[in-house]
Amino acid sequence: MAERSTPALAAGIETFVYPGETEPVLAGVELSLAAGTLTGVLGGSGSGKSTLGRLLAGWLLPGAGGALGGFLDLGGTRLLFTGKAADPRINPGSWGRVVGFVPQDSAAALSTVRETVAEELAFGLENAGVERAVMADAVRRTASLIGLAHLLDKAPETLSGGQLRRLAIGCAVISGPAVLVMDEPFASLDRAGAESLADLVRDLVKGGTAVVVLSQRVDGLLLDADTWLLLTGGTIAVTGTPAEVTAAGVLKAAGVISPRPAPGSSSVPPVPCCPDPSDPVLAAQVPVDAVPSPPALELRNVSFTYGRSKRHRFFRTGAAAAAPVLHGLSLSVGKGEIVAVTGANGAGKSTLLRHLNGLLQPTAGSVLVNGRTIGGQPAGRVSGEVGLLFQQPRDQLFERTVEREVRFGLDRHRRRPAAHGGGTGRHDGAEATAVHSALAAVGLENHSGRHPAELPASHQRLLALATVLAGRPSVLALDEPTVALDGHGLATLNSVVRSAAAEGTAVVVVTHDLEYARSIAHRLVHLDSGRLLPLAV
Amino acid sequence: MRLHPLTSLAAAGSTAIMTTAAASLPLSLAVIAAVAGLSLAGGVERRMLAAAAGILVPLVASLFFLHGLFFPEGSVVLAHWGPARVTVEGLQFALERSAQLSAAVLVLLLCSFTISVPDLVAALSARGVHARFAFVLASTLTLLPAITTRLARIRQAQEARGLVITRGVFRRMAAFRWQAVPLVLSLVEEAGTRAAALEARGFGATGPRTSYREVTDPPFQRRLRMVLLLAAAAAVALRLWQPTAGA
Repeated sequence: MAERSTPALAAGIETFVYPGETEPVLAGVELSLAAGTLTGVLGGSGSGKSTLGRLLAGWLLPGAGGALGGFLDLGGTRLLFTGKAADPRINPGSWGRVVGFVPQDSAAALSTVRETVAEELAFGLENAGVERAVMADAVRRTASLIGLAHLLDKAPETLSGGQLRRLAIGCAVISGPAVLVMDEPFASLDRAGAESLADLVRDLVKGGTAVVVLSQRVDGLLLDADTWLLLTGGTIAVTGTPAEVTAAGVLKAAGVISPRPAPGSSSVPPVPCCPDPSDPVLAAQVPVDAVPSPPALELRNVSFTYGRSKRHRFFRTGAAAAAPVLHGLSLSVGKGEIVAVTGANGAGKSTLLRHLNGLLQPTAGSVLVNGRTIGGQPAGRVSGEVGLLFQQPRDQLFERTVEREVRFGLDRHRRRPAAHGGGTGRHDGAEATAVHSALAAVGLENHSGRHPAELPASHQRLLALATVLAGRPSVLALDEPTVALDGHGLATLNSVVRSAAAEGTAVVVVTHDLEYARSIAHRLVHLDSGRLLPLAV
Repeated sequence: MRLHPLTSLAAAGSTAIMTTAAASLPLSLAVIAAVAGLSLAGGVERRMLAAAAGILVPLVASLFFLHGLFFPEGSVVLAHWGPARVTVEGLQFALERSAQLSAAVLVLLLCSFTISVPDLVAALSARGVHARFAFVLASTLTLLPAITTRLARIRQAQEARGLVITRGVFRRMAAFRWQAVPLVLSLVEEAGTRAAALEARGFGATGPRTSYREVTDPPFQRRLRMVLLLAAAAAVALRLWQPTAGA
């Protein structure tokens, strides 16, 4: 993209070992980032990308954060590390002014004590003691660069996922850092969001910033990168131009997801959609020779509005009524059918999914599972029949070990029938088998003793999936299941979803990724303005 | 009129001190009524109710248990079981102490739910208070809402995996035992990430700081704060001077 000059940031990491570990998480990693260039650091889950990114950005400090052997060179000043106490110390504040970082979870970059977008942007400048007039100017300039100029007075917690990521980028670039490191910036953004973010990054690169994007997927912006660097197992497998790295033919084996869907990669061809002419959305795909039975899942004229609880309305009459998120929506999913619900960020897809297991109750209409309405039932009771994969694994995982995490659900499902008599010994054995087979299905059987938070993002996602699978629900509801998955994880997800459907489980997948929806689903529906519209596969 | 955060703090603090020092049932009840009215006006009544129930129910129950059953000075006995005697004086005493305690707790809760935390941090920073201290104070005030949100998230995850929680405050409290450990662990984990983010944004810098946010502090409110603090000090002095006043 630009001429190469003295590197803005260079690193030579011989080894980097986390405290308490013996194996290095990074070894033999060398990179040099010139001003005005775009570098893609690629790799599957657990390849060491995030560790490298946080180390470069001063979020992970050599010493307290782990033992680094090697050097970091910032704007020509080289710091040598030997992993000993006498090593130089990095001041994260000064480092952060030169190297900006946007973490995978954008919300983690925010201060949490600033009321508006403008103040959140100014936080770093306040700490540096910048004059108020200069600050106000910088806030205005940055806001227009990141496209949030119209939201300066909004509270950061009310922003959508895409806006939040822009804010995190704004916080990182407001002090004009020479280097910007972004960890999976495109995950969970819809097409429009991803395109406008790509434009923003291109502008930064044009303005002379050395940008590093850490990613397990190569598409859009990364195809224009100057350099790709493929990490596997903490070391550089290949480096070069995108064409050179692609030619090496190792991306797929490393778990990196490539741009074009390989034709014929889906082992089960999508079933053509043959909608009921009377109501295309309501119709379930029932095989012709099947015995008529109620659909596994049915939504009848479901409407939902946030903040309109049936109780405690006495003091709320003056408040303006919120717009309905779901608007008289109907859907029917047959046994063994995979239905994908697509829609832009903020269309209400997650809200729809939370109705399937009773976490949210419709303000009008009803939800039926296997022919029975779940209205008024606590979500805990419905969960035996409907397994819900949350959008964020960190919202789903709460236990101390991987094994306990999967067992939590099982334990509860079995306790209810057991309460009417029956020993627990037999259940313990069955539970252990169910835990093991759910973990084996997602390839985590060797991680059962680890803490979920220690797992890389892709594995956390798969663990969350295992917790859902273990209960063998008759309806699987998956919220953006592809987000954070690398190539291997994606393959696991596909095989799990297809085998569940083959066993008769009805699957509802909510996704912003139309390409993925087309590859997996028998039928596509599009959520827009609270209504479902049929979509050709 | 928008209250300066220090005025809100001074008002809440001095009211709590004065109510405690005065130990007068009518005053305590008046403060409780005022807090209830202000909560409704401020639209925070539901959050207040939940937090107040969590804090006050066990405290008030223990006060009634102790003084209601065991009050040596009590003479009008309503019922007795062995050494335990329910006396009119005991109940009266428990009622007074409960009202006094409730008034102080409620007024402080109201302050924490309604104060503008960013204003408070900006006001403290402008007065040369160390940024870390201002942040800790701000975080403490935002901790309860943050915990509530996190708790709801964990509870939903557990419900989605078969934990049956039916409606009602007591059922939810009983279910809390499943959420306590994950809650603490997740808060600790988040604190680690947050610390890295804050440090990288120069929060640990020792040099002078500036504030983007401007908090207006009219002279009237400055004087009001002085009056409130003096009144609180006077109430304490009076209590020490006349230990039996109001009791």
